[in-house]
Amino acid sequence: MSKRITNAIALGMLWIAALITVAVLGTVIGYVVINGIGELSPRFIFTWPEGVAAEGGVWPTIVSTLYVTALAMVIITPIAILAAVYLAEYAVQGRLVGTIRFAADSLASVPSIVMGLFGLALFVEAAGIGFSMLSAALALSFLMLPIVMRTTEEAIRAVPKYIRWGSYGLGATKWQTVSRIVLPAAMPRIITGIILSTGRAVGETAVVIYTMGQAINLPVSPLDSGRPMTVHLYLLAMEGINLPAAYGTALLLMILILGFNLGARFFLRRNRKV
Amino acid sequence: MSETPGTQAGSGTLQLVSRRTYFKELALKNLFLLCAGVAVAGVVLIFAFVGVRGWPIFAEVGPWAFLAGREWNPTAGLYGILPLIYGSVVVMLGALAIGTPLAVGTAIFLSEIATPRVRSIVRPAVELLAGIPSVIYGFFGLIILRPIIADATGGLGFGAVTAWLILAIMIVPTIAAISEDALRSIPPGIREASYAMGATTWQTIYKVLVPAAKIGIIDAIILGMGRAIGETMAVLMVVGNAPVFPESISDPIATLTTQIVMDMPYAAGDHRTALFGMGIILFLVSMGLVALVRLMSRFQTAMESGR
Amino acid sequence: MANRLVRLNTTERGVRRRMRIRAAMFATVVALVAVSSGCDRNGPAENEVIVTGSTTMLPIAEIAGEMFHDRYPDKKVLVSGLGSSAGIETVASGSSDIGTSSRDLKPAEEKLGLYDTPIAFDAIAVIVHPDNPIDSLTTEEVRAIFAGEIENWSQLGGRDKKVGLVNRDEASGTREAFDSIVMGDTPFDRTAAVLPGTGQVRSVVANAPGAIGYISLGFVNDEVKAVTIDGVTPTPEAVVTGEYPIQRLLHFYTVGPPTGLAKKYIDFVLSPAVQDTIIQDAGFTPIIGGDR
Repeated sequence: MSKRITNAIALGMLWIAALITVAVLGTVIGYVVINGIGELSPRFIFTWPEGVAAEGGVWPTIVSTLYVTALAMVIITPIAILAAVYLAEYAVQGRLVGTIRFAADSLASVPSIVMGLFGLALFVEAAGIGFSMLSAALALSFLMLPIVMRTTEEAIRAVPKYIRWGSYGLGATKWQTVSRIVLPAAMPRIITGIILSTGRAVGETAVVIYTMGQAINLPVSPLDSGRPMTVHLYLLAMEGINLPAAYGTALLLMILILGFNLGARFFLRRNRKV
Repeated sequence: MSETPGTQAGSGTLQLVSRRTYFKELALKNLFLLCAGVAVAGVVLIFAFVGVRGWPIFAEVGPWAFLAGREWNPTAGLYGILPLIYGSVVVMLGALAIGTPLAVGTAIFLSEIATPRVRSIVRPAVELLAGIPSVIYGFFGLIILRPIIADATGGLGFGAVTAWLILAIMIVPTIAAISEDALRSIPPGIREASYAMGATTWQTIYKVLVPAAKIGIIDAIILGMGRAIGETMAVLMVVGNAPVFPESISDPIATLTTQIVMDMPYAAGDHRTALFGMGIILFLVSMGLVALVRLMSRFQTAMESGR
Repeated sequence: MANRLVRLNTTERGVRRRMRIRAAMFATVVALVAVSSGCDRNGPAENEVIVTGSTTMLPIAEIAGEMFHDRYPDKKVLVSGLGSSAGIETVASGSSDIGTSSRDLKPAEEKLGLYDTPIAFDAIAVIVHPDNPIDSLTTEEVRAIFAGEIENWSQLGGRDKKVGLVNRDEASGTREAFDSIVMGDTPFDRTAAVLPGTGQVRSVVANAPGAIGYISLGFVNDEVKAVTIDGVTPTPEAVVTGEYPIQRLLHFYTVGPPTGLAKKYIDFVLSPAVQDTIIQDAGFTPIIGGDR
């Protein structure tokens, strides 16, 4: 009897743990949506912040965020995919591969402020690029590299071996097999990984705060500085004078990131070949 | 690496290809290796550039005075980071104490109890928690949680306890995802054997599954630890940023990461060097935790193959 | 391209502060070049006004500059924040038209013969929770509180409640002013919470019964109580008459009385169009009197 009671209590606790997790998510999202929804208007999205307390809109910060994210994606995607191809298709288990994996895991766990300091020291100062989209994108790309690498490698490994054998059997070279057979088959999952890592980059603050600059600016060239949405939200929240704009920015940021996440899920479900 | 010229990689047969194709394939392979090397280069560059900027602090202030100095007061020329290390450790331990049961509980729920339908709701929710930017957690903590803590403690509401609650939520996705993988990789036969002996679900979880997934769960907690120590913006917004040893868990404190962000805008000279020095320490700690996880999985493999 | 800064930009201000020394060196070089080539920056024919100096005053100078540009589209105001000392140095050397400073001239700088146009008061209110029975403090008491010497409100005849100190970050101009006017050589208590924004200081004090903080007078509202200092209630009137002690003037310095475009810009900053909007939005107290 007591065995059953213990079981019931313990399982109840597990239910509660899961419920708390879901409830917290609901609370955070609900809080941002309820407070931010009244702020959202075409004017808020498409105009500039004005005056001393940043009344008005957030347009330049949206552009800065999308700009730096797209730039980081363009920089890192080819490298990360090819690196994953190496690990999944070419590499022989050994010290070299062990080192690469250890480096990728380390990159994935570097605290974001350390990545920010690194970007400041290398790209902004040593390389002389200055506070710019490019500096921030380069620092972000190191953050995205391990994520895209891992998801791509998993996607490639999920492609059944016999498909490769078929290709080799027809006399295809390794590269032909990889580029024409394996990568296309793995593509939906690779794209999902890219979208997820992009969502991560959109939400990143500590990496960009000392690499992009903080002055509000509409970036045109990659060497322009700007202020991304996350930094804008941080400054608005900490200044605390114009909280409605902070709520609005938080909601836009959340919509963007949930959009990336749900988009990735939807895309994978539609294109699940592997 | 050990291929002989003219053979196709992996096939191991003598099927010959033209010299041009061979070199093209070789060049591509090395290009891919180069791309994979970018990860290694990244780690080396981070170490080099943060290190070069931060290293002089160990020489000028002295490693002992820097790491074990009890006062962080750059305007007075005191660069002791012990209060910041203390802050980081206190915040991390509290977050783990609250977050681990929640995360492991959620992982067990997902892998052992949830029906596919419930699972299809809870699992994406956990993943979305990981997707929410830390600055939004910080904003939430600052505006909602801080006044609640202030009412409860009679203080300002800034301090370790506020950071614990926010960080605990933030590390749940990390710990839950890896723990769940570990639980799911246990062969179903083991569960069936346990049930066949009359064990309840909880007994199976407690006596069979959790011990079997032990290493994976410990890995998950270590990585959650890394996440908690490295988290910056959310903690920054709720700790109150006083670089001192606090009298209580509801007094303002500062951590290594938050102090870097607070001071970076105006720091110059030794002060700036000290911030980069703190960066080196954070980097070494995070790499150390990754190394620990790898060692443990190697240990586990050795155990299993030795069996 | 419009490069709009808002006051929120605390960190940027700090970065500029760090660059102060470098900037001062740069200014010296610019000045040498300017002098040797015989060019006169104060020439009335110019279509640009160069304003350098205080980081505290950067946002108002800049936003006023944008409004000025909107009103006179062919005129431009170039503003940079390098710190008050650099502002005084650059205007004296002729490499800028207006030097902004959040402090009075030091004795050594008085010899430069600069002309002072005060443009606003920067007054700081000491705020407590509305339910705190303490209504008045002396400057010495405020200093003792922020130095950590008074830790409980009962030491001042208030309730038995721990004092919750709320300080600003070191890049803040408000902290710099409070430090120089109230604290002097006494260091701040380092156990205080450090917040990087005025609004946060206000909302934290508003819901913590034992808290005390300081913010620019213009940001005081009903949520908090501004205590009297040395018996003087912090009001714009008391600031203008000079009775309220925790205040300082924000200056525009020029070489001799302003002329040409510099004069036009300064007059614009002193007009209600700026005084009643930007100056007040930034929490400062307008300098112009009359029935306002």
